[in-house]
Amino acid sequence: MKFPMNGWFVALLCGTATAQTPYPPAPPTNLVAVDHGWDAATKIDLSWDLSADDAEQVRSYQVLKAVGRIGDVTIEPDFKPVESVDPGTAEFRVKDLKAQLKRWEVEQEYGDNEAIAALLADGSKSFKIGYVFQVVAMGKDGSRSATQTASPITPTMQIFDGSRFWFSVMTFIFCGAVIAFIYLARSGMPLKIRKIAGLDAVDEAVGRATEMGRSVMFIVGIQDMNDIQTIAGINILARVARTAAEYDAKIEVPTSRALVMATARETVQSAFLKAGRPEAYNEDLIYYVTDEQFGFVAYLQGMMVREKPAACFYMGSFFAESLILAETGNSIGAIQIAGTAQPAQLPFFVAACDYTLIGEEFFAASAYLTGSPEELGSLKGQDVGKLVVAAILIAGVLMSTMAAILGPDQGIGKSLVDAVKYLKDVILT
Amino acid sequence: MTTIDPDTVKVILATDCGSTTTKAILIQFVDGQYRQTHRGEAPTSVEEPFADVTIGVINAVTEVAELADRKLVDADGRIIQPAKGNAGCDLYISTSSAGGGLQMLVAGVVRQMTAESAKRAALGAGAIVMDVIASNDERRPHDQIQRIRELRPDMILISGGTDGGTTTHVVQIAELIAPAKPQPRFGSDYRMPIIYAGNAKAASLIEDVFDDTVDLAIVENLRPVLERENLGPARDKIHDVFLEHVMAHAPGYDKLMSWVDAPIMPTPGAVGNILQTIAERQSINAVGVDIGGATTDVFSVFGGTFNRTVSANLGMSYSISNVCAEATMPNILRWVHFDMDERELRNRVKNKMIRPTTIPQTIEALVFEQAVAREALRLAYQQHKEFATTLKGVQQQRTVGDTFSQQTGGQTIVDSMKLDLIVGSGGVLSHAPRMHQTALMLIDAFQPEGITRLAKDSIFMMPHLGVLAQVHPKAAMEVFDRDCLIYLGTCVASVGPAKAGRTSFEYAITGDTLNESGEMCWGDLKLLALGQQETARITLTPARGVDVGGGPGKRVEQTVHGGTVGLVLDARGRPLVLGDAPEVERWVNALDLYPQMAAMV
Repeated sequence: MKFPMNGWFVALLCGTATAQTPYPPAPPTNLVAVDHGWDAATKIDLSWDLSADDAEQVRSYQVLKAVGRIGDVTIEPDFKPVESVDPGTAEFRVKDLKAQLKRWEVEQEYGDNEAIAALLADGSKSFKIGYVFQVVAMGKDGSRSATQTASPITPTMQIFDGSRFWFSVMTFIFCGAVIAFIYLARSGMPLKIRKIAGLDAVDEAVGRATEMGRSVMFIVGIQDMNDIQTIAGINILARVARTAAEYDAKIEVPTSRALVMATARETVQSAFLKAGRPEAYNEDLIYYVTDEQFGFVAYLQGMMVREKPAACFYMGSFFAESLILAETGNSIGAIQIAGTAQPAQLPFFVAACDYTLIGEEFFAASAYLTGSPEELGSLKGQDVGKLVVAAILIAGVLMSTMAAILGPDQGIGKSLVDAVKYLKDVILT
Repeated sequence: MTTIDPDTVKVILATDCGSTTTKAILIQFVDGQYRQTHRGEAPTSVEEPFADVTIGVINAVTEVAELADRKLVDADGRIIQPAKGNAGCDLYISTSSAGGGLQMLVAGVVRQMTAESAKRAALGAGAIVMDVIASNDERRPHDQIQRIRELRPDMILISGGTDGGTTTHVVQIAELIAPAKPQPRFGSDYRMPIIYAGNAKAASLIEDVFDDTVDLAIVENLRPVLERENLGPARDKIHDVFLEHVMAHAPGYDKLMSWVDAPIMPTPGAVGNILQTIAERQSINAVGVDIGGATTDVFSVFGGTFNRTVSANLGMSYSISNVCAEATMPNILRWVHFDMDERELRNRVKNKMIRPTTIPQTIEALVFEQAVAREALRLAYQQHKEFATTLKGVQQQRTVGDTFSQQTGGQTIVDSMKLDLIVGSGGVLSHAPRMHQTALMLIDAFQPEGITRLAKDSIFMMPHLGVLAQVHPKAAMEVFDRDCLIYLGTCVASVGPAKAGRTSFEYAITGDTLNESGEMCWGDLKLLALGQQETARITLTPARGVDVGGGPGKRVEQTVHGGTVGLVLDARGRPLVLGDAPEVERWVNALDLYPQMAAMV
């Protein structure tokens, strides 16, 4: 009768003793470090055999990294954790490594080491680094397994970065399309571009001003020349000014930036020269008003109501003033053509103006108006690029949807999830 | 001219003095209605050695008189008026295009705006527009002056500027014309008529620019605001000037003008007039075409707006080489359903150029000529569509809904789907050996969509009726309905995404003589017999996305009229894309265009 009771007691004591003393899991084995191919010497691929206790005891594997060699000199590694990975994981890619250290970096970090000091004496400017890696299995109870250390390895740089493979494919497609279309355009093949009503209406607007004996007003936005929209606006100004010169109409360009004024003057003068009417150019009609947003708008509004221009162009970057200008122009019966890439201002322009160039149309205006093979070709080439991206996006959306329907954890659904991940992380990164 | 009481008019004599032939028709009140009873023709005598247009008129009228067994010309060589018993007529009217018709130079500020309105006014009045001078026509002033000097127009129309608009540009145009001193075509002692129909504010400045060497007339602005055209006053003035100056100085016209009971009209103006009257009375959209040897006139009335274009270099004899150049040989050859190489085609064109007035003697020559006609008509219609547009320079009112559907002004108003009637005239159409050939030429060239009635003006009576409509509309309408047009039938054509072999539309026809149903596949052409004066009820059920007049995929039920050809069901698609020769031959056989050729095979 006593024995069982004593046995229970001993067993309980042993159990308690086991719970209190950490029992480390078996270490991972066969740790191998190899250089990652097709990179800029920034990655090392590690692989190991799982711990024998992986399923029961391992909470994670900790990867540690240390510099083990500089040049030909082996140094004492000072391991620092890089990452912890989940149990069941038998490989890891260490990123953001360096293949070499600069002389001053070596001096700063390892100058005290005699062997290194000797190494530095040869006058080299940089030194190869050899990395040493360790993997430790971390137990669920906080214990650590014995470490497994890989041989020192130095990452090497290849000519091409493999992670950028798809990027290079995209580059070839996009650039190739641009070059191909430029070539086709030069060889005389007609490239069809969708009609852009706002640009076709330039003649109509300037014609209206001519017939009515009034002026054409052109506003190049309220931003400076460093804004791409201002540059696009100046491109369109060149065309409008040329048409005005041909029709012998008066064109007025108030600006809110001094640099824009100077650019506009050059542009309009050049347009009048090309139209064969340099004598008709009047630089006083292209002038600076004020940098102040609403001061500028107040001036424009007053001028529009007083002089009633028959055609108003708003081409550039606009903000709160868009509706004020467009409504004033509408109320005086002017034909108004606007173009901006500011999404918030587009509805106002569309509602109050006769024609509106929307985002891309605005930037495509130059190619559309000049019709030069180079510009048309690049426009068509860019379209091909957009088409490819759109196709990839649609494919991704469809695959994600299908994966969600079929179940993302197994079978085709899982394959689709992997494919989407590849699309997202590799192709589109 | 005397006042006409329409009720007393029982005999009407009408002449049309063409460049080569003067045609006369006699309209009589028979059995309670006006009918065209007789016609005659004679060579026009406006040129030397006669140099008197009335000689040709009297000869043509004499022929009519002989045929009608009615005395129409007295011993002094004058037309007898009014009618008494078996002699004379109650009403005599005439049109004229002799000596090249009315030739005008027009000018405006902006080519696409006031200059285009001026051109529209001139063309609508029946003129041939020799050139358009505009501030933006890309010619330097000295080139423009040189051009004005070279031309010898009958009159000049100047427009430009809205009322209160530009004066500078208008005066600049006047200053180009004044020093150029353009010389009129007829009469050295006659002052060049200039009509000013521009900015009212600039009228006094225009008067200052011109001296006494021109006869300046100022009328209302034809574009008082850019949103509206006011072509009436300018057109009326053109007619007045045509009579007062141009006709008065043309050989024999002073005498002819004293005979007529209504102002002599330019022939195309009269054709436009009758087409407008018909379209207005029947509330339809109509297109008329007159294909001649040198030019092709296209008239249209869409939504009450009349337009006329003259394609000066598209014709079947003098201009045939130009048709071939503009259309290109492959485009002409595509209509030829048998083996004909380009070299043979070129030879035929050259022969026609050497002998422009010859008519086809063989079936091959006929097929070739009708192929050229199809292209000439197609090109003329294309030019007409580009000209017949909404006004340019008009302010648009938008909503946010228009973001992706913005359209510029100047869109064509010619809508083939809304077209109700096509009237063809001119030798190649009127004198085709079979009416079926005329019908298919009109269908191939104009490519009507939906349900469209086809007709031809067999003896080119429309000019006479155009003038008659101004003084006796009832008589003009009755003759037009009964004698002028020969209805060929109706064309039913589908528009949509054509896929060879797939069904385009299904049809079910019920009528007194025609009861049939079936389906038309893309590429098919079918002729169903439906005679003159016959009608039938047709129900069309189009395939998805296909339009037969009611909108894509929408069923249409309508009454169709027959004609000498019948009811043509056309599922060849629009725009018409021609396949190979066997396919064209299938279409030719479907309408039995050349039965002699089929018999030979």
